[in-house]
Amino acid sequence: MHDSGNIHPAEVALTESNPAHLSSSHPLVVMRFRPAWTYIDGVRDFGEFFCRTTFTESDVADRACVVIQETLENAIKYSVKDPDSELELVICATENSIEFSVTSKPDNAHLGSLREELDRLNHLDPEQAFISALERAQNSPEASARLGLARMRYEGGVDLRLVEQSDGRIRFTAAGKL
Amino acid sequence: MSRLETIPIPVVESLSVAIQLPNRLRIGGRITHQEPGQLLGGFLKAVHDAVVGERLAAFELDVTELKFVNSSSIRLFLDWASWVKALAPHGYKLRILTTRKFTWQKTSFVAITALAAGCVEIHTAD
Repeated sequence: MHDSGNIHPAEVALTESNPAHLSSSHPLVVMRFRPAWTYIDGVRDFGEFFCRTTFTESDVADRACVVIQETLENAIKYSVKDPDSELELVICATENSIEFSVTSKPDNAHLGSLREELDRLNHLDPEQAFISALERAQNSPEASARLGLARMRYEGGVDLRLVEQSDGRIRFTAAGKL
Repeated sequence: MSRLETIPIPVVESLSVAIQLPNRLRIGGRITHQEPGQLLGGFLKAVHDAVVGERLAAFELDVTELKFVNSSSIRLFLDWASWVKALAPHGYKLRILTTRKFTWQKTSFVAITALAAGCVEIHTAD
């Protein structure tokens, strides 16, 4: 979609669309930026504003906050440290669904853990999976919490999907009902 | 002087923290830092230790102005619930004062409370 050889520090594209008129998934927002922690608050706040302004459903903006925060944190923590690294956040919607996708290039160790964690979570219902993740964190106080994915499913009301691309990048998608 | 009065209050961007004697801690703002445990973990443990030292029967954590936290920060509250649970039945009761305004509070604190039943309670301010 983009030439990653010529990345600007941040790039944003908005499409003016009324999601109520969409019959198939349609990108409403595309943002590209370097994988730096410092961008997360701004991107999350924009996502919250965008969803609050665009959708009539009252909880979409709150769910967007959780999903954007956790997907970006994961992508930034585990992206390869490369001067050409970039993240792409895409928000799509149809008449009755919303989808957040983040594309990044993760390190190999993280990719393995991500596959394993998604597999574990997808065998449990969202609430059960969140409580199970809390229990794991409680039993390993020195380890990292690893609550983000379970929180997204439960609190964000989304299904999670991972697509591995041939160029080593992954697209992590969180999709839920509007 | 209460031990709670002697605890240094952390200064963290985007966050307000205040101890209100005799038995309340108010946290407001947002916690979305990469390592929230380094910023607040020691402080919360010091508050817990002071509550135990003062032999308080109950302590209130007021998060009604805490707009948003990341999942690493949920760990802070989970750890606190674990410390309280480890003292049961001889410790204190942790009461978390929440608000319906912020959706994340219900899901996160209800789940945390489920893991420390009888030691941690949720109350809703609105």
